[in-house]
Amino acid sequence: MTPGGPILVIDTATTQAVVALGAADDGVLEARSWTAGYRHGEELLARIEDLLRDRGTPPAGLGGVVVGTGPGAFTGLRVGIATAKALAHALELPIAGVATGSALLAAGARAADGATVALVQPAGLSDRVLSRPGEPSRILPGGTDPELRPGERLVAVDLEGRAPDDAVALGHAARDELAAALLAAGAARLAAGDADDLARLVPEYVTLPRGVRAKLPDDAVEVTGGSS
Amino acid sequence: MSGPLLLAVESSCDETGVALVEDGRRVHANVVASQVALHAPTGGIVPEVAARAHLRWIVPVLDEAMATAGVTMDDVDAVAVTYGPGLAGSLLVGINFAKTLAWAHGKPLVPVNHLEGHVYAGWLLDPGEADKEAPPFPLVALVVSGGHTFLVEMRDHLDYRLLGTTVDDAAGEAFDKVGRLLGLGYPGGPAISKAADTAVAHDRVFPRAWLPDTYDLSFSGLKTAARRIVARARTDEGLPADEREGGTLADPVVAELAWGFQDSVVDVLATKTIRAAEAIGARGIVLGGGVAANAALRARIAGEAEARGIAMVIPRPGLCTDNGAMIGAAGARRLAAGVRAGLVLDARPSLPLAR
Ligand SMILES: [Zn+2]
Repeated sequence: MTPGGPILVIDTATTQAVVALGAADDGVLEARSWTAGYRHGEELLARIEDLLRDRGTPPAGLGGVVVGTGPGAFTGLRVGIATAKALAHALELPIAGVATGSALLAAGARAADGATVALVQPAGLSDRVLSRPGEPSRILPGGTDPELRPGERLVAVDLEGRAPDDAVALGHAARDELAAALLAAGAARLAAGDADDLARLVPEYVTLPRGVRAKLPDDAVEVTGGSS
Repeated sequence: MSGPLLLAVESSCDETGVALVEDGRRVHANVVASQVALHAPTGGIVPEVAARAHLRWIVPVLDEAMATAGVTMDDVDAVAVTYGPGLAGSLLVGINFAKTLAWAHGKPLVPVNHLEGHVYAGWLLDPGEADKEAPPFPLVALVVSGGHTFLVEMRDHLDYRLLGTTVDDAAGEAFDKVGRLLGLGYPGGPAISKAADTAVAHDRVFPRAWLPDTYDLSFSGLKTAARRIVARARTDEGLPADEREGGTLADPVVAELAWGFQDSVVDVLATKTIRAAEAIGARGIVLGGGVAANAALRARIAGEAEARGIAMVIPRPGLCTDNGAMIGAAGARRLAAGVRAGLVLDARPSLPLAR
């Protein structure tokens, strides 16, 4: 780790994976995104290596890592967070997990000239996830549309053809600024010494099978074989 | 021993394992975070929950393994990781974690098949355990778990010829199913073994699916028969036939039924394993997989192997269930054979061991 070094930003919650380098003061130095589909596992680390090499930043020169924690596609989130955790562990980087939903809401609000916004993303084949600033994300079962509050505008990400055109357009605009929004939120926390516990950082899951979530005991895991 | 030290990562199902293994044999640390209790309320593994638990536990398990072995990444020569078969979401966590660790530390990455890991558990030596002979070739390995049941011939390292496999369910699945039927809970294997030990009468005979002229195995018929036999035992005791309608069988009856079921599974597995060993002129038999922790199966095969002068290798139960050390043991052989993975390594949920 190099204190004050560039911050690596990773997000794999949407169909467009993002890797970026930035600094708390200077914003995004370079952001790259690509259509990942379900191939995050094959591509993410190679894309990170390319970005660092092209920017002349050795891994040890990084100052921190910011990772999007969703909600979003399971496959991508697992790859993104596992990769971010290993980087943070190996390079002793402070890590900040930032909800991708919050970052998209912030970027969407800017794209909507400061209007209040609500975010919808797909969850499985027919359900959607609805996120609002400062409120927990929740599932909209297939067929139900979000009820917009007065003055609120809808930002639709990964819902081409399944949401109104203006909401999809706002979604594109928000996603274009996702790296910047994640960096702004994450870098501020890292600068304030408010890094996440590397062990406890997990993705935002709002789409667990119905009935399962309530049944699960927290941390019901037994660790054996250690000496401490 | 002074071979390479491997850091090995296993996350194919519901155990997060990280181990440090020297020269493919000596375990320096083998830390496992087991999610069995996490999945017990749902009676089986919920894949989304399993993947999330892997993400939650992989860093503490790694730290604990490094601390237990008393090493740093500077001491590690290579990183090995399970890349299949298994649950896609679970595999992805271990693969991407291990891949990135290897990249950031500049170590070679070795991809390992989970199934060969179960076989290679037979080579492991615990910390402080006296040196002992490695399993002799040619050998027959029987791997039995909740996800897999197969017999394989090995004439040398990494040389597998599949002799037979289950044509339907894994043996471990049948244990889970019958465990539920008998009200013994999840996972079924240990509970059935424990109940069977207390059986006084041994006259409840369950059918055997012999599938003649093949080393293939089948357990779905046994599952169906078990449902019928348990239902009859319940109506005999004045209970509703379906266990979900309430009422529990008396412990001695449960014990007899557990024994009868277990005896059927053990009889088929042991008979086919010994027959295969004789057919190929095996000098050794290796047992692996979670069901190989079953005491009745271990005793039966060990006895028959000894009577024939065949060396029997059964890892202790903690090395039969999923763990990182077995991946380190297989990984060392692959490292020696020059096998490496690049940054594009991805999960192979249906990866076969051999064709
Ligand atoms: Zn296994």
